[in-house]
Amino acid sequence: MPATVGLELRSWAPLLALIVSCVGFGLAAPGFATVENLWTIADRSAIPLILAVGTTFIILQGSIDLSIEGVMAASSLTFAMCVLNNRTGLDLGLFSLVLATCAGAGLGLLTGLVTACLRVPSFMVTLGVWSASMGIAMLLSGDQPPLIKDPMLRALGLGRSLAVPNLFLVAVAVVLLGYILQSYTRFGRYSMVIGGGEDMARLLGLPVDGYKVLAFAFGGLLSGLGGALESARIGLGHVDVGAGQMFATITAVVIGGTSLGGGRGGVLQSALGTLTLAVLTNGMIFVGISPYAQKSVQGALILLAALVTTWPLRSRLRIVK
Amino acid sequence: MEATPQVDESPPIPREDREVRSRGTRAARRFAPLAVLIALLSAVGAIEPSFLSHYALNVLADESSVILILATGQTVVILLGGIDLSMAAVASLASVLIALALPATGPGGLVGVLALTTLIGGVQGLIHARAQVPSFIVTLAGLGVWSGLALTVAPTTIPVAAGYSAVGWLEHNSVGIPNSFSVALAALVGLAVTLRRLPLGRYIYAIGMAERAALFSGIRVGRVKILGFALAGLFSGLAGIAMVARNSSGSPTIADSLLLPSIAAVVIGGTSITGGVGGLGRTLIGALTITVLRVGFATIGLEPAYEPIAYGILVMAAVALTIDRSKAQIVK
Amino acid sequence: MTEPVLHVEKLSKSFAGVRALDDVSLDVRPREVLGLVGENGAGKSTLLKVLAGVLRADRGRIIVRGMPVSPVNVVAAAAAGIGIVFQEQAVLPNVTVAENILLGHERPALRAGFYDWPRLYALAAAQLDKLGAKISPSAPTATLSFAERQMVEIARALAIEERTRHEPIILFDEPTSMLDANGTETVLEQIERLRRRASVVFVSHRLDEVLRVSDRVCVMVNGRCVATRDRAMCNVADLQRLMLGRELDAKYQRQPLSAHGPKVRLSVRALGRRNSYHGVSFELHAGEVLGISELAGSGVQSLCRTLFGAERADTGEIVLDGRSVRLREPADAVGLGIGYVPAERRLEGIVGGFGVRENMTLAHLDEIRRGPFIHLAGERQVVKSWIERMRIRTPTVDAPAHDLSGGNQQKVVLAKWLVGRKLKVLILDHPSRGLDVGAKAELFALIREFARAGLGVLLVADTVEEVMALSDSIIVMKDGVVSGRFPASAAKPSRLQILERMV
Repeated sequence: MPATVGLELRSWAPLLALIVSCVGFGLAAPGFATVENLWTIADRSAIPLILAVGTTFIILQGSIDLSIEGVMAASSLTFAMCVLNNRTGLDLGLFSLVLATCAGAGLGLLTGLVTACLRVPSFMVTLGVWSASMGIAMLLSGDQPPLIKDPMLRALGLGRSLAVPNLFLVAVAVVLLGYILQSYTRFGRYSMVIGGGEDMARLLGLPVDGYKVLAFAFGGLLSGLGGALESARIGLGHVDVGAGQMFATITAVVIGGTSLGGGRGGVLQSALGTLTLAVLTNGMIFVGISPYAQKSVQGALILLAALVTTWPLRSRLRIVK
Repeated sequence: MEATPQVDESPPIPREDREVRSRGTRAARRFAPLAVLIALLSAVGAIEPSFLSHYALNVLADESSVILILATGQTVVILLGGIDLSMAAVASLASVLIALALPATGPGGLVGVLALTTLIGGVQGLIHARAQVPSFIVTLAGLGVWSGLALTVAPTTIPVAAGYSAVGWLEHNSVGIPNSFSVALAALVGLAVTLRRLPLGRYIYAIGMAERAALFSGIRVGRVKILGFALAGLFSGLAGIAMVARNSSGSPTIADSLLLPSIAAVVIGGTSITGGVGGLGRTLIGALTITVLRVGFATIGLEPAYEPIAYGILVMAAVALTIDRSKAQIVK
Repeated sequence: MTEPVLHVEKLSKSFAGVRALDDVSLDVRPREVLGLVGENGAGKSTLLKVLAGVLRADRGRIIVRGMPVSPVNVVAAAAAGIGIVFQEQAVLPNVTVAENILLGHERPALRAGFYDWPRLYALAAAQLDKLGAKISPSAPTATLSFAERQMVEIARALAIEERTRHEPIILFDEPTSMLDANGTETVLEQIERLRRRASVVFVSHRLDEVLRVSDRVCVMVNGRCVATRDRAMCNVADLQRLMLGRELDAKYQRQPLSAHGPKVRLSVRALGRRNSYHGVSFELHAGEVLGISELAGSGVQSLCRTLFGAERADTGEIVLDGRSVRLREPADAVGLGIGYVPAERRLEGIVGGFGVRENMTLAHLDEIRRGPFIHLAGERQVVKSWIERMRIRTPTVDAPAHDLSGGNQQKVVLAKWLVGRKLKVLILDHPSRGLDVGAKAELFALIREFARAGLGVLLVADTVEEVMALSDSIIVMKDGVVSGRFPASAAKPSRLQILERMV
């Protein structure tokens, strides 16, 4: 077991935050601390968990992915048009999930290649891919978003197995997969290395570019999966299926303790942050805070987390762009 | 020892030879954007000749004004080597505040909103410069904060109940040219002249090109950065005004779809994302190009969905072509 | 005589026209520790980097155990059996010790692509055992002390042995310059242990340490190995003499000393900065050139930057023209009349994309203004006159600075400060680095000329010759403290006297 979790107080803060939030909201609002609500939180956090795992590897490497919403939209439309629906004559069932996920992976692959090989900063590339994939989704959607009629897939999206929401089970499996990749494969460990010292990694001959492409492809794959599953839940393919997720995912990853500068954090931390954010979101509604304010809160949290990371590194000669 | 590495006879990761910029590539970079614009105009004009009529060109100019304003502010930030992802959100916030304020305060409210957006930009610049948080993180956070604020203040569109005349004149023409475009162009030219004639302009370019050398030449880098982001905030506010004039209302999401096109305008014009190279003249060409794409697509009957696809590809291509690879050894 | 394990033949390497390595030839015998010494710019670090694959030589051959090798990168060098322990810490703090040691070579510990952590730890532990280091392979590297991280780096270099089946050749680039006495002791012990299973090349400016652990010592001067001595047959003084090399070039002959005024421009009192320098005090008079002689690691660069406001001192005081000053950023220093010519000319001295004109006026644009606007005609005039005065060779006034030769670039940087009307102190950090002989001479003549006009000049020189040729008074710094003073009033010191305080 690699000793990735540091012994500093800082790494316990996210867990503390989660516990404090739960207790706080439980005391403040009567409806919060029920089993039913907890399953609601679990259900609501399923897709964000999947997205967070994919984004984690990218952020660990020191890059960023702003294209989540676009990739989700494209995969959502792809999925909805491949399953039994009211627009196309296809009925590919579960295979549609595979197709949609591959679409996401393909977009991620493109992102990775442009970033790594053309040396374009990731925020720029992912902004562009966000836009382009939104356009693709809009093309596919046309005037009328396709409605999903496949009962099995809708049950996957809406249903529960033994009281646990199906999507949450999928999310748990993805988190587990992500953890294994991060701790037991070169992809995971080298992502840490790239984030912590890319020039050293290159000097020692590690195939940095290849792992960067892989991280973006993996992120795209999970964004694609998330978009398809969300579609299964809401019952249609829609360009707005991922609305707000880019912000929420980055916030979740960051408050979980994964630093935007790279080299610190991990899948479990991101999962923790996602759950904390889900609790915060849910709790705030119970307490009566407008959902619009959520975006502001998320923005403030991102800034706070960034400040905590960069403040100790300040020096007169440090150049930050 | 300090975080900066020991000075040594030889760099640990050597840049063996200085990048040789042939005269060919330099010329290409200068004239390519203009060539692309002319080519686009010709192509669309060939398919649909009415596109080049006086009326249509006026529509084009009017359509370009908001993106031009946003791109002008963004240019300053990009020249410094940073980026401002919050401009569209601040513009939306401004539009909401203006729509709410105009009936009560008239033109005075406009000044107040502009002051506020400039302050917002300045604060973001302050956090970036003093806390040394990368600009894309600060402005990404800002995007959330200001967007959420706008939504909280006004969850839906707010029509201008009264006082519209304070901004309505922008929608008229003078001398056959839309006022909105004239104002945007005047602002751009004004800023360009300022940058060229004032030391501030040189400082901005120096910081973008070689920040360490700029620092070691006694330039107050922190102050210049704060000023640059404050300018971006000002132009966000101006964009908000222009949008209220056009739509007779303000809305919390009115400018959201303009973030990428405004960045694209700067980048397609030839200003390098790494900073120090480019300028406002290029942004003008870029903004016009983006608008020709937009309007042109509609004119020749292409589905509007192709617009975001085109922006995405264009932005990536433009940055890939104009980035200074010798400067950024490690690209994240 | 035994066959050398490493034979370097006529290795040459130039940077921008300056010869860093000049037909270097030397041998390393099996299981010996070869010490490598020399002044700044002698080429020691460059040689190690070429051997380790970080840089590539322009000409020459490297032969390991009788087979020619070409280390085009670090991986190739490691495959040839050459590993390097860098001067700056090159371990990654955010992964475990084991991962650092085996970085890039984890395959023996992988099963179907998955990490077998116990096996990885065991492999790493094997390397650490060779050093007798008590470090846990599973520890996060960030929790280790500086000296322990050095151990990890050495272990990584040693791991080469597992892959090549031969004893490795380990290169140490100033491993002790940033360590305290304990850490130094540990490293030196390690090097002695390594002799049993590897060959070592050990670069250091501390001659006593070199003589302690080395079997032979090679002295480098100006990119060449000029002498090799057995440890038993030389002492520190011998090495110092050899390091000084040939006689002073006539161009560097010092002018007769003209007395400088009594006015103290800059007074530094007990200035200190953690991990860089401490207790530094001196006085710089108007019209005086105060030379600082040092070798890498002495904290002088940090000192210069502190005096310019680019770094912060923890203790002490800076007094300019009688008034104590607080410098929060370089702009404060510039406003008070302090100028700085940095060592990294291309990155920190000039703005490469700007023209000569824009570079020259960048620090004093507020003095060339009419109202808020830049007075372009006035600027052009000023720039033209300075180009003439300093004989800067440039095709036009607006030619991009990165197109100029190194010497002319440096003149532009110098002019940038001299343009200002209220310049009081000028700090020059290795100003002649990377310049050819002719450019150096020109530069020095200019410095002498302008110093006489009432400036206080602080000069950190590359070599002892330079310091002696240009300075009125001399300070020697070693390991962060002032180790020697030669005020102008006293007798002129010999080169040897200076050098022995540097090492």
